[in-house]
Amino acid sequence: MRLRSPGFLTIDEPRRLGITLVLPSMIIVFGFLLFPFCYSLVLSLLNYDLARPQDNGFVGLRNYGRLLQDRYFLNAVVQTAVFSSVSVVLEILLGVGIALVMNRDFPGRSLLRALIIIPWALPSIVNASMWSWILNANYGALNALLTQVGLLHAYKPWIAEPGWAMATLILANVWKETPFTVILVLAALQGVPKELREAAVVDGAGAVRRFFAITLPMIAQIVMICALLQMIWSLLHTFELVYVVTRGGPFNSTDIIPMRIYWQTFKGLRFGYGAAMAYLAALALLVPSLFYIRSAYRATVE
Amino acid sequence: MKNRLLVSLVFLLAGATLFAQTSLTVIFPKHEADLSGSFAARVKDFEAASKITVNLIQMGWDDVNNKLTAEMASGGSAYDVVEFDNGNVAAWLGAGWVEPLDSYMPKGFTNGMIPGLLDLFTGADGKLYGIVWNNDTRFFFYNADMLKRAGIAAPPRTWDELISQSKTLMSKGIAKYGMAGFWKAEWALVNDLHFYIYTYGGKIVDNRGTFLFNKDPATLAACQEMVKFLKEGVMDPASLTYDQEAVNNIFLKGDTAFLNQGIPGIMAYAQDPSRSKVVGQIKVGLVPGGRAGVSAALTLPEAYAIPKGSKNKAAAWKFIEYMTGKTVNKKLAQDIGILPIWTEQYTDKDLVKLYPYWADFSRQMGTARGLSVLTWYNNFVDVAITESQKMLSGALAPQAALNEMADLLKDYAGKP
Repeated sequence: MRLRSPGFLTIDEPRRLGITLVLPSMIIVFGFLLFPFCYSLVLSLLNYDLARPQDNGFVGLRNYGRLLQDRYFLNAVVQTAVFSSVSVVLEILLGVGIALVMNRDFPGRSLLRALIIIPWALPSIVNASMWSWILNANYGALNALLTQVGLLHAYKPWIAEPGWAMATLILANVWKETPFTVILVLAALQGVPKELREAAVVDGAGAVRRFFAITLPMIAQIVMICALLQMIWSLLHTFELVYVVTRGGPFNSTDIIPMRIYWQTFKGLRFGYGAAMAYLAALALLVPSLFYIRSAYRATVE
Repeated sequence: MKNRLLVSLVFLLAGATLFAQTSLTVIFPKHEADLSGSFAARVKDFEAASKITVNLIQMGWDDVNNKLTAEMASGGSAYDVVEFDNGNVAAWLGAGWVEPLDSYMPKGFTNGMIPGLLDLFTGADGKLYGIVWNNDTRFFFYNADMLKRAGIAAPPRTWDELISQSKTLMSKGIAKYGMAGFWKAEWALVNDLHFYIYTYGGKIVDNRGTFLFNKDPATLAACQEMVKFLKEGVMDPASLTYDQEAVNNIFLKGDTAFLNQGIPGIMAYAQDPSRSKVVGQIKVGLVPGGRAGVSAALTLPEAYAIPKGSKNKAAAWKFIEYMTGKTVNKKLAQDIGILPIWTEQYTDKDLVKLYPYWADFSRQMGTARGLSVLTWYNNFVDVAITESQKMLSGALAPQAALNEMADLLKDYAGKP
């Protein structure tokens, strides 16, 4: 007698319910993630220039090959690396530092804990517009503040110079993203047993030694997760900031990878080339993403 | 007989209902001078006159452009009438995104329209693909009051005269800078590059797509002049961070004496004390040239077009015909000062009375040229923004920047 595999109607009730509940999510995942993901892969193998359809066709890996010789793309890789690495380091250092301060008892602590989330909760486009005004060469708050305290003699067009443009964008990004680290590290600090720190004080350990010997090992997992998330977000969530404040200028000195993809795809109408860029960026993101998943899984298990 | 009448009546009513239910979705940018909502009011008039309902979408130019690119690329049918910018003509016609209007237009409809505005939206096949709704020609404005106080008798005729007059104004503390440029890393910077090249009689490419910009002495001279403005200190050094709005505001604030490429609406803004500190001080002059006797202006018209995917093309044409017709065009000119697309309206007594400076505009209008028409214009913009900024900030010499542009665009050489 041949065994029949159970069809949808013959499987037991709980499994049927499970499949029914998961199905809408699966449809969304396939429709909005997997299909575009696969379609972009196909696009990246084509010369798909909407403005010059006569040149379109299959080109294999040529788009990827051209990317490796594209000076603007290679520049964007460097600018993205600078932007991400400096931002993440500052966000972690400041985030841990502020969390340590806010973990202590002081008047108004609860209010401050609530207020600190505001920059992170601001929509990215609002944050970007706000910084655009702060950095404005004629009416900007930064120039007004620095001239009033005597640090600057005349108003400075901050985003007209490559070094300053990148520095101010990093500042704006750090201002927005640091609260996320603060909140997570603060939560982790609540889990560090008070007795351990008290015992260390009794043993004569100073504040620095207590931090490195007790606190840091106990929050390291969360700090690692924060760093990985911030790294991923610095690539994914900064388009608005760069687009609004500098448009990638002056002369591509703040041109990060998402800006390049945007230009090539939606301005240049070269969808194949833009898709190849997006794929290389996705591959670059895969590394921190895998580390993040591993760290998050380990943190959950522990 | 009675039955026939009844059936005919039912059909007539059904037909009328169907027509009454026609609905158009129209998208174009909000005109910078339209503070009173005059365009939206004219759309309402169209609805009342035609019984066609219009879902009007107006937003910033960049937002409209981004929305449309995605929509047109996907071959969607969301819009019936769309913004068609002169910078997109070659790319959109290459992609076959818009419908030729010739079969919808009544014969002779365009007779009397400014010829240059028609040429810019005419394809290589000789068909017309857009009717201009915004005759966005740029003009040279100067602060006559400042010049008078500095003892300068007449506005500059050449860029070198402008530098010299700016220095006088600055040394006497009358103006903070001679001028400001919209040289932020965005689209408008390349408009400005075209503008200066035109004032030297230069050209970006020829009709066959051969690069001229890296070989043409006129282009090189124009680029050198742009750098000179900064080196001589007469151009606001923050220009690399300014967009057009910022440059207009600085001029209206009285910080600068010259506005090299101002929108026509500047004259109206300048008379409004809530926006301007230079009420009654602004005049229109001819754009200075690379040498005396040469002048040029840039025109950046925006048109209405019908996308290939529209399901209401006939009704869409009715909308375009109404909104660009002489009556509405005059009304918009009266309400918000937009420049008409019909030649006769520049001598219309009502409009001339309202805008006496249009006489100066019409002197410049004959020198107006559009942007380069290239299927790879957007890629040209990408490269031109970066290399121009390198040149303006002194990181590259003008000839080196032009050579770099040619090298980065070499795949497009010979492709118009």
